[in-house]
Amino acid sequence: MTNFRLGIDVGGTFTDIVLLGDDGTILTAKVSSTPDDYSHAILQGVQGVMERAGIDAGSVREVGHGTTVATNTIIERKGPKIALITTKGFRDVLEIGRYRLPRLYDLTWRKPDPLVERQYRFEVPERLNHKGEVLTPLDMESVEDVCKSIVEQGMESVAICLLHSYASPDHELAIAQHLRAAAPDMYICASADVLPQMQEYERTSTVVINAYIRPVLERYVAALQEKLANMGIKAPLLVMQSNGGVMPAEAASETPIYIIESGPAAGVVGALRLSDKLKQSDIITFDMGGTTAKVSIIEDREPTLAPEYEVGGGMNIGHRLMKGAGYIVRVPTIDIAEVGAGGGSIAWVDKGGALQVGPRSAGASPGPICYDMGGTEPTITDANVVLGYLNQEHLLGGGLKIDTHKAEEAIARLGSPLGLSAHDTAYGIHAIVNSNMIRALRSVSTERGRDPRRFILFGFGGSGPVHAVGMAKSLGMPTVVIPPLAGLFSSLGLLFADVEHHLVRAFFRILDEVSLEELNAHLDTMYEQAQDILGREGYEEGYQNIAIYADVQYVGQNTALTVPVPAKPATRDVLADLGEGFAQEHERTYGYRSDGERLQIVSLKVVGRGVPLSSRIPDRISAGTPASGLSPGGRGEGAERKVYFGPRDGWIATPVVSRASLAGGTSAGPLIVEEYDSTTVVPPGCSVRLDEWSNITVEIES
Amino acid sequence: MQRDPVTQELVKNALATVADNMVVTVVRTARSQVVKQSMDFSTAICDAKGQMVTQGLSLPVHLGAIMPALEGVLKVYGNDVHPDDIFINNDPYEGASHLPDIFLFKPVFAGDVLLGYLTVIAHHTDIGGRVAGGNACDNTEIYQEGLRIPPLKLFDRGVPNHTLFRLIQQNVRVPDKVMGDLWAQIAAVYGADREMLKLAQEHGVEDLRGYMDELIEYTERITRAEIAALPQGEAEFTDYIDDDGIDPDPIRIHVRLTVKGDEVYADFTGTSPQCKGSINPNFAFTQSGVYAAVRCLLSPELPNNAGYFRPIKVYAPEGTYVNPVHPAPVAARGLGGFRVMQTVFGALAQLNPDRIPACWGSGELGISIAGYDRERKPFVFLEFHNVTGTGGGPDQDGVDGGPIPVLNLANTPIELMEAEQPFLVEEYGFVPDSGGSGKYRGSLGVTRQYRILADEATVQVRSDRRRFLPYGIGAGKPGTPCTIHLNPDTENRLLPTKWLLELKKGDVVRAELAGGGGYGDSFERDPEAVAQDVREEKLTPDYARREYGVAIVHGTQDVDWEETKRLRLR
Repeated sequence: MTNFRLGIDVGGTFTDIVLLGDDGTILTAKVSSTPDDYSHAILQGVQGVMERAGIDAGSVREVGHGTTVATNTIIERKGPKIALITTKGFRDVLEIGRYRLPRLYDLTWRKPDPLVERQYRFEVPERLNHKGEVLTPLDMESVEDVCKSIVEQGMESVAICLLHSYASPDHELAIAQHLRAAAPDMYICASADVLPQMQEYERTSTVVINAYIRPVLERYVAALQEKLANMGIKAPLLVMQSNGGVMPAEAASETPIYIIESGPAAGVVGALRLSDKLKQSDIITFDMGGTTAKVSIIEDREPTLAPEYEVGGGMNIGHRLMKGAGYIVRVPTIDIAEVGAGGGSIAWVDKGGALQVGPRSAGASPGPICYDMGGTEPTITDANVVLGYLNQEHLLGGGLKIDTHKAEEAIARLGSPLGLSAHDTAYGIHAIVNSNMIRALRSVSTERGRDPRRFILFGFGGSGPVHAVGMAKSLGMPTVVIPPLAGLFSSLGLLFADVEHHLVRAFFRILDEVSLEELNAHLDTMYEQAQDILGREGYEEGYQNIAIYADVQYVGQNTALTVPVPAKPATRDVLADLGEGFAQEHERTYGYRSDGERLQIVSLKVVGRGVPLSSRIPDRISAGTPASGLSPGGRGEGAERKVYFGPRDGWIATPVVSRASLAGGTSAGPLIVEEYDSTTVVPPGCSVRLDEWSNITVEIES
Repeated sequence: MQRDPVTQELVKNALATVADNMVVTVVRTARSQVVKQSMDFSTAICDAKGQMVTQGLSLPVHLGAIMPALEGVLKVYGNDVHPDDIFINNDPYEGASHLPDIFLFKPVFAGDVLLGYLTVIAHHTDIGGRVAGGNACDNTEIYQEGLRIPPLKLFDRGVPNHTLFRLIQQNVRVPDKVMGDLWAQIAAVYGADREMLKLAQEHGVEDLRGYMDELIEYTERITRAEIAALPQGEAEFTDYIDDDGIDPDPIRIHVRLTVKGDEVYADFTGTSPQCKGSINPNFAFTQSGVYAAVRCLLSPELPNNAGYFRPIKVYAPEGTYVNPVHPAPVAARGLGGFRVMQTVFGALAQLNPDRIPACWGSGELGISIAGYDRERKPFVFLEFHNVTGTGGGPDQDGVDGGPIPVLNLANTPIELMEAEQPFLVEEYGFVPDSGGSGKYRGSLGVTRQYRILADEATVQVRSDRRRFLPYGIGAGKPGTPCTIHLNPDTENRLLPTKWLLELKKGDVVRAELAGGGGYGDSFERDPEAVAQDVREEKLTPDYARREYGVAIVHGTQDVDWEETKRLRLR
């Protein structure tokens, strides 16, 4: 019997489901999400796909899950009543923030309201210094009063964040203990447990968010597990983290801050693991959906991690140097550049008579004009239909009727004041949105000193395969890969990730003055903690991959670089190597090293990965069965339609084919590859082949 | 040259990227908190004629600062510009700003063609002079303010000028921070040089220059079109600075602002003469303030370059407070710059009553704490609290702790401050009842309390808004005054707005900064909103009753509607 793994990716609009057999069989479903109770749509989708293919629930051995529920809880302020306990004199740290703003000169921007109202931010007299020494002892009488108020006010969850608690957790833990005794059912999050790192605002914000979403996530995970169990699926549930690893559902419901960006991370990890199979180590991922396009870079098989993320920051107003747009969570997050460009982005003409696209989006409702669901403003999807890139009669394998005529009329109306024909306008829209997305692509490549031409572009998401090859062409990138299930690729990526845990501790010491004993004690404890966590999750010794890092900077610098600690236990020689490693990385990143300056360790990190018993990716992923979602779309083999490839190539009668039909040889562009969940546009002058994982590889002639 | 609109857009984005990359390099490699945490610096690209083409993400008060400083350099070195030169300038009387702001300019050559200049300004933690931090407000002439670096070559064709490096290093109190930040600036302009050359290669030198010109022209066209669409007319406004720390008299800032056709005129005739103390904003700084305020009425996407400045004309008679002449001291001119902006906003509010909020809460606290630790190692700490929150607006409250749209200056994490300097911050939070009342209330003021842990420390404070408060609009009331007390638990001595004191271990300085101004009649404020403020302990019940005519039921903290109705009968 074939064993299956089940991937479930819950987004705001759609829930994507994929079943991957260990023989490479693939089954999928895409159903509308049910925000009132997300598990409802999950149940419906999973049951549907299993019945359709006649799969027994017992053959599901693992469930990978990505979800937007954490993000939505925060943005829609749907969390429970929570309280914050902090050091006397500092209850407004959370609300004051850092006085950063996402963009200048905008009188209408308002910073988001704090997640804990002022009257529920309680202060207790106590004070530590940065070494963790007690300047003012914890006043237990106040603690008692505060605990009493919190219980009386019916709080469901409490965050504790005291000044300098990264240096000593004692006071926070004493409060937590007291509160637990007073209210055994209360959710309690202490910042020293969640994020023992310097910077009081960022730490407070992080622990508050954890406290805010934890009850919601715990209920969500429990409900999901119960529904799956009722269906007969008793396999372990693994939840995708923002850092690209997965963690067991139980851990995720305790520290849900790690899973906030789970969906986008899954796509990146999926691309990373497929590129491994293709023996490629440097890729750029491009994920374009209905409202946003997301780009990230993978170099030497490592995704780039950002140290923090702003929930609800919004891609349209943000600038990579401007902070303050959303709620800050300081956990490592795959660094993804986002622009407000998706199939639903609206095209318009500005006051100066220039054609513009986005960032406004017609979204899922009313959607593009061609969907004929009430949309009145032309979108990128409308332009792509007019150009022949998308099927002009129906999409989603016939599930969605397309009104090309309406789209064409609206686009002609938009272009006529500019003196442009309908197809010139449509082509302009397509080109402008490509250039907007290229900006995001450059922000992860050239802006970081990386030449995109030595990277392979992985294009996915519902609209990604329509635009990927054109973008690669204008950047001089030679190769594009469109992975299988491109339109619901995140749900597949969920199944490719390894279990991963990040542990971090503040360790603010001058490198030369470090006590080896103290350092090694920290490293040993963290290492053992990682071993312990992985062991409990079933990864025996030999199946644990544990790496130690230190965040290091020149004394006085702001941004530390993460450098591997070359050996354990640390000796003076090991520290010298660490210093040299830092200097080299500094020179590589900033162009200079400053030998002779003192180095400072900021924090210690341990990353523990569970090594899977067998490869997370089967030897082949098969295309072909109707239920798989890899089935031929459109009008079947031999079909063609007129497609516009720009002023130089004009309209070309272009073959419309299925992904499966590309097998066994090389085909030449122009080609349109139609499938249920996405459409790949291959312009003239490109060649195309399919590999054993059903990746479409497009080589662009230079 | 045939200009292609798509390439134009790409060049625009690419130049913005180069300027932003300089910002990234500086943030990541700088050493001082004022640069790396507060981000008190700016980057830009100018063309070969010295016209600014692109500005990186930067401080609005630096908007108009770059071109005059480069002009100062080119006056001296116009015919002596070579590849891998780096020019330095911090002299306010040769185009720069105040002495702590060190400007670096690196020419970029593609072959032997000068493409333009890469610029990084950074505010340095110290620049020598009589008071650590370079921001003393009680200087009376420029010569007391520190090391004055006229336009000079810091690098001559790639060769570092060791004399100058040594001279700077020996004249500042914290050479590791200052030299570290200076190297961060150098790293930034070097990195940008490579990126500019790549751009030149991609587009061709002549085309790139053409697109740079066109970017300025395009910006001017759009700016003019947007100004022409603003309500036209003339408005006058006056605001005051309490005193300059030397002379007790207030300083009057007066503007007559005219929006006519596609141009804006700001005329500061009627402003007080330059003051004795060092809070004089030099003229470039005054211009920056006007540019920043007007920009808030135009679309935020507008590029920042020379084309934006052209339709905005600023006039101020020489020798007035907003256009001081040599040897006026200017070290603490930030305060003046903020008041210039607030004055311009006050005038703009009359022409655009539906868009401009009341004055933001402030106090313009600048504090430097400096001395030597037990090992005789010097420390210098400098931070600014220029803003507490925003003023009440035409349709919404001011935001408590809200940043204003013309300042991107972050506060400093207390945990980092305390780890690196011998003092504690004992309180950082809102002051209840401190926002100006109104239909839409002003933001609350903010308190910050410091305790000295070193045996002794020299503390310098610049502050304001004690007599002349952040203004309200319409019937909206002003925010509360800004006060500073020494040792509040014992002697509780009210200190002047500007001072310099030698403090001892255990001394406490408590600053309570002003709240924002309110907008409209406070008796028209939604009583529910008042009750919510009371629940949040942002307003006291007594204050709600007195200022808003809203009675709050003790215990439930709901609105007592009967009583409220009676109170609001006036």
